[in-house]
Order: sequence, then structure tokens, then C-alpha cells
Amino acid sequence: MTWLVWRQHRNQAYIAAAALALFAVVMLITGRQMASQYHSALISCAATHTCSDLATTLNLGSPVLFLLINLTLLVPCLLGVFWGGPLVARELETGTAQFAWTQSISRSRWLAIKVGWAMLAAAAWGGAVSALVTWWSSPVNALQHQNFRAGQFDVQGIVPVSYALFAVALGIAAGAVLRRTVPALATTIGVFVALRVVIASYVRPHYMTAVTKTYRLAFAHPMPSIPGSYWQVSRGIVGPGGQAASSAAHSGVGVSINGTLVTLPPACNSLLSQDPPKIFSCLAAHGYRAFITYQPANRYWAFQGIEAGIFALLAAALVAVSVIVVLRRDA
Amino acid sequence: MMASSDPAVIQTRALSKRYRTVAALTDCTITVPEGRISALIGPNGAGKTTLLRLLAGLARPTGGDIAVLGTAPRPDPAFLAGIGFLAQEIPLYRRMSAADHIRIGAHLNARWDGTSVRQRLEGLGIPLGQAVGTLSGGQRAQLALALTLAKRPRLLLLDEPVAALDPLARRQFLAHLAEAAAGGGLTVLLSSHLLSDLERICDHLVLLAGSRVQLCGDVDALLAEHQILVGPRKDTTAIERDHTLVHAVRTPRQTTLLIRRNGPVIDPAFETADVSLEELVLGYMGQHADGPSPAHLSAIGGDQ
Amino acid sequence: MISFRLDGRSVVPTYLQIVQQVRQALRMGVLDVGDKLPTVREVVAATAVNPNTVLKAYRELERDGLVEPRAGHGTFVVGRPSGPPPGTHSRLARSLAQWVRSAREAGLDDESIESLLRITLRAAAEEETA
Repeated sequence: MTWLVWRQHRNQAYIAAAALALFAVVMLITGRQMASQYHSALISCAATHTCSDLATTLNLGSPVLFLLINLTLLVPCLLGVFWGGPLVARELETGTAQFAWTQSISRSRWLAIKVGWAMLAAAAWGGAVSALVTWWSSPVNALQHQNFRAGQFDVQGIVPVSYALFAVALGIAAGAVLRRTVPALATTIGVFVALRVVIASYVRPHYMTAVTKTYRLAFAHPMPSIPGSYWQVSRGIVGPGGQAASSAAHSGVGVSINGTLVTLPPACNSLLSQDPPKIFSCLAAHGYRAFITYQPANRYWAFQGIEAGIFALLAAALVAVSVIVVLRRDA
Repeated sequence: MMASSDPAVIQTRALSKRYRTVAALTDCTITVPEGRISALIGPNGAGKTTLLRLLAGLARPTGGDIAVLGTAPRPDPAFLAGIGFLAQEIPLYRRMSAADHIRIGAHLNARWDGTSVRQRLEGLGIPLGQAVGTLSGGQRAQLALALTLAKRPRLLLLDEPVAALDPLARRQFLAHLAEAAAGGGLTVLLSSHLLSDLERICDHLVLLAGSRVQLCGDVDALLAEHQILVGPRKDTTAIERDHTLVHAVRTPRQTTLLIRRNGPVIDPAFETADVSLEELVLGYMGQHADGPSPAHLSAIGGDQ
Repeated sequence: MISFRLDGRSVVPTYLQIVQQVRQALRMGVLDVGDKLPTVREVVAATAVNPNTVLKAYRELERDGLVEPRAGHGTFVVGRPSGPPPGTHSRLARSLAQWVRSAREAGLDDESIESLLRITLRAAAEEETA
């Protein structure tokens, strides 16, 4: 049976292997260049004590490379469309399922081996691409501290493997239910994109309760220092009673701080025409404080794990659906 | 070789299959004894494909019982090893070669005679290395039959295998099939909507029309049980009382009756004639086409 | 070795066509005692008829004492069909010709004669079986 799976899909496997090899060559060459560029920049900045500005002065990579990295977001979807969707649907559509199902092999074994290899291949390809991207990105991650950004979080670490498993399982299930290849492909793309967007935008921020830090308003140091690639959920100013400072409880003159419109208490109104630092100290004196809500950097792998777990569970559920549909339904 | 005591390879009782609101097969009771080459005849949409798929375990019945080779059809290796199934569209992997298919069969079947397929294809001049999608319809059908036979099945289920073939390919296909059956131990059920395709090769008949079984039995016995009566136009109630009227054609002057007889026909006004297989089949199909058939006219299930 | 031409459309049952063709071949000297008949497999591979049909024909020939199956070797001719004694044919042909003449004189055409002959043959057969 494994031989049949290989014979059926070897051309796809060759193409995917060639694409992966090409991608690996690009990543390895440019990744090494970038790593050495970052290293020498670190050495020279240490000599001149300008390393704190390195994030703004050093330009790593190129727009084309970052576009390529962003395109790896599509890898799980492509695997779902080209490997998952046709896996069962094409056999039902062309009738070859009837050929296979009347050989001396049970339908469950047939499905298990096909699905097993497809999932394994998806995990391998998704993992290989992710590993290359993660390695390539390490200087960028170290420089920019933006590991939680969607364009980075979603293409690095272990989540791409889980996305790939989910996309392939989705394709298989859509094919088993719809029994036609093209509608299965369309369904795979639609559901995959929709679910990814919903989870990344609305579910991911709440995997763990965010940490909130309040701090004294001061013009010179608007922000406390938070180590590493933390993920900022929100920031702003709270009034003396802890209420949101932007509430239009009483009309007055406002000033925008850190993107929050703060209505000045009457006592500070007179300072409006004067230096901004004085407004800050006036606000601080009247009990106004700044806050930042964020996910600390050390939660990165917990978030990767939770998101990977969610998609792995969804993939398992879809495989179960495929098994039930294939075994229960008439050929 | 043929005896009524041959064990039944296929036995169904009150078998039914509904697809949502459509009845594909209704109250189907048939028996096919071992060693027969049975023709499953019926107009398009009569339920032939449904019956074959139920027998192969590819579909599940909604009512009644099936025993194929002594067990209920089920998708497990032990059952599947005993049957060979060839679907109407002759589904093979179009991009793969005959040699690839032989290898697939070797991987998927514990009992597999790949050499027989190679020999057969070489004998027919069918290339082993060429993609199956580029072969002619007749070559594909021959390949599919050879692959199905390589399992050494005890029961072969073929769905309209010759419908799309030209006369020469049709003859070669049936000769291949007959040769396999001559080896012994093989029972065949093959469907067609054209009796003429199967007349020579079949010694057993299952006639379906309107999702119901109209006739089932050994061809010789069925022919002996039926008779054509040709006579003047007259009251035929006496004949209808003694025998089972299958089909009647009445003109102002003449009456032609197809009857299933119970004993000899004694009516000097009627000339009797033996019935041909074609007349028999057309008679039962015509009966069905004329309107809903009374249950007692069904030749199945002990109507005597 | 002989080959069979089998006509599925003929009113003569297929197995009987095989029997008749073997008998004919024996009368004509195409087959002789000791010759081997084609195997069932060979016959069906060439003609696409049911193997049981060929078996039935061979059994009928065996019952008539014309052929004999030898296990593992095939079916061999062991006898010749017993015909009527010489002269029978011509004697009967003469009286039949006389009858045909009188039927023509009575106004029967060939078709009516054939029909009458068929009916008489069937009646005689039924008398025998009765």
C-alpha cells in the first residue's frame, strides 16, 4: 500500500522536494551573509557604545527576502490544496477507489496509510520550511525583538508544522465529504484562511492573561523597559480613580499622549501653552499614570505550544471525520 | 457440471437499497449457484449496478440479507480476496502503466498471479510500460479483467464490461472470460442491457426491471418452463388459469402468448413453439413496461 | 484437430452445434479414431461460449460412444457414428421424391411442404417421448 501511495504521489513529492531544496539554498546563502553582517555590526557598535541604536541603524535582509519569508505563510495552505484535497476526492471522482477497495485490503487500512503518509509529508515539509525560516530569522529576531509579530510568529517555531497538518487534514476531510476535487480545494483554502485569521486576531491574544504594568508619567522616560520580544496588547493612561483617561466625563482641553487622548484636569489647563514636560509632571501630580498591557517574551514558546496544540487537535478531529465518512459511506 | 445442487455463491433475500427517496433495488431475492456464468440483464436504471455494488460490499443494503461466498459482504481482506469486481467505467490509474498496476496488485493482495496478467497482455499485444490512459478502451478492459482475475477470485462481478467495446474487442473480452471460467472454481455475474452480448456465454440469468427481479435461474430450465402459444383471437382465460401468462400480443385475428407453463398445454387451437432466450427476456421486460406487474408473475420466490 | 463455428442466433442449441460438427467431421473423415478434440479451454477461448456448453456437448458425444476423456490428456475420438446400413439413404430418398411429386400435384408449394414436414417431425417426436 505504501508503494501505491508513493507511486501515486511521487511526482508531487519530487516537485515539492525540488522547491524545498531551492528554498533551502536561498535561505542558507542569505542567512549566513545576514548572520555575519549582524555579528560584525555588533562588534563595531560595542566599540562605539552605540548598540542601543542598532535596531534603527542596521538594515538586515532585503524587501525581496522578507517577501519570500512572508510567502511561507502559504506553505501549509499549498500542502492542504495539493496533497490533502485530492488524496481521497480524486480517487472517488475517477472511480479508482473502487479498484483499490476491491483488492484484498480493508478500507480503513487503505485510508490509514494514505492519510498517514500525507500527514507525515506535511509535517516534514512544514517543519523543514519553518526550521529554515527560524534559523534565517535569528539575527532579525535578536535585533528587532518582534517575535510575536504575525509575520514572524506564524512562520517560525513549531506552529507551521501544526498548520500544515491541519491544512492537509482539512483537504482530506473536504475531499471525503464533497467527493470532488475542485470544490474540496476551494473549501480547503476558504476554511483554512478564515480560521487562521480568526484565531490569530481574536483568540491568540487571550491564550494567557496579559501582564499590566503601570508607571509614572514622565516626559523623559515615557516607557519602562520590558526585556526581550514582549507582545504589547495595549497601552495608555489611567486617571486618578483608575478610570480610562480618555473618557469624556467632563469637557475640557485634551492632549494626546502615547496615542491616548487625555482630558486635562482644570489645574493643568494653564500649562497647555508651556513645555510638554510640565504637563506630564502636572498630570502625574494629579494621579494620572501610564500603563502597558503585554505578554512577556518568555511566554513565546508557551504561545507557540498552545497554538500548535489547537491546530493539531483540529487536524485530529478532521482526520476522524474523514475516517468516519470513508468507512460509513457507500463507495 | 451443472446441477441444481451446486452450492449457492450468491444468495440474497428481500434485498433492498434506497438512495434517499429513490428505490434502486426492491425486494430482490436471487440465487446464483457455483460455476455459473450468469447474465444480469435489465434496462438502464433497473438496479444492475446497485446489485453488483451490494454484492461486492461497496454499498450497504437498506433492507434484506446477502450472502456472498457464505458471508455478508464486508470490506475486509478475507472477503475481498474471494471476489473480483470490475466497475463500469473500468477505473484504473490513468497515469500508471500496466506493469505498475500488476505491482499494485501484488502489494494489495496476498494471493496474486502477476505472471498470468503479463502473459495475457503479451498475447494480446498490449504494451506493459505505457500509461493506461493512452490505451484503447478494449485494451483497458482486457487489462482490468486480467488484473481482476489475477486475484484468483471465486466470484467475478462485472458491471457492463463490454458495453463500450467494439465487436472484436467484445468477443476477445468474453473469450478471455470464458477461458478463465473453464479453469473451474469460478462463478461469474456480469451485467449488460443487451442480451445479445451475453447469450453465448451465459448459462444462468438474472433479469431485473424497474428495480425488481423478474426472472432468475438456469437458462435451460427457464427456456423449458416457458412456451410460446400462437393461435386465433379467442378467450384465453382457460390457459391463463392453468398457466402463468407472462406476456400477450393480441391482434384482431391472432393471439401470441408467452406463458410459464404448469404441465402440458392442451388446446388444439394453439400452435406451440419453443421460446428463445431473447423472446423470454423481451417478454418479461415488455410485461414490466406495460405497467406494474402483479407479484405472482415474478418468477422468483416460489410463485407456484 | 478441428475448430467449431458456433452461431448464437441459430435455433439449434450451441451444444448441439458442437455435437453435430464433430459427427459431421467424423463422417467426412476430418476426424478419425485416436484424434484429440480441442480442450474446453481452447474451444471457449476461440468462441467465447460457456464452458459448460462445451462440456455438455463432449458428454453427449461420450454417451454416444464417439469420444472418451483421458484424465490429464484431453478428449479422444474412440468411435465412428453408427449410420444406417448402406442404401438406406437412397431408398428413402426415392420414396420421398415420389411423395413430393404427389404433394406438388395436389397443389402444395415448397413452403407448405416444408411446414408439413416440420409438423410431422414434431408430432412423431412427441409420440416417441409420450
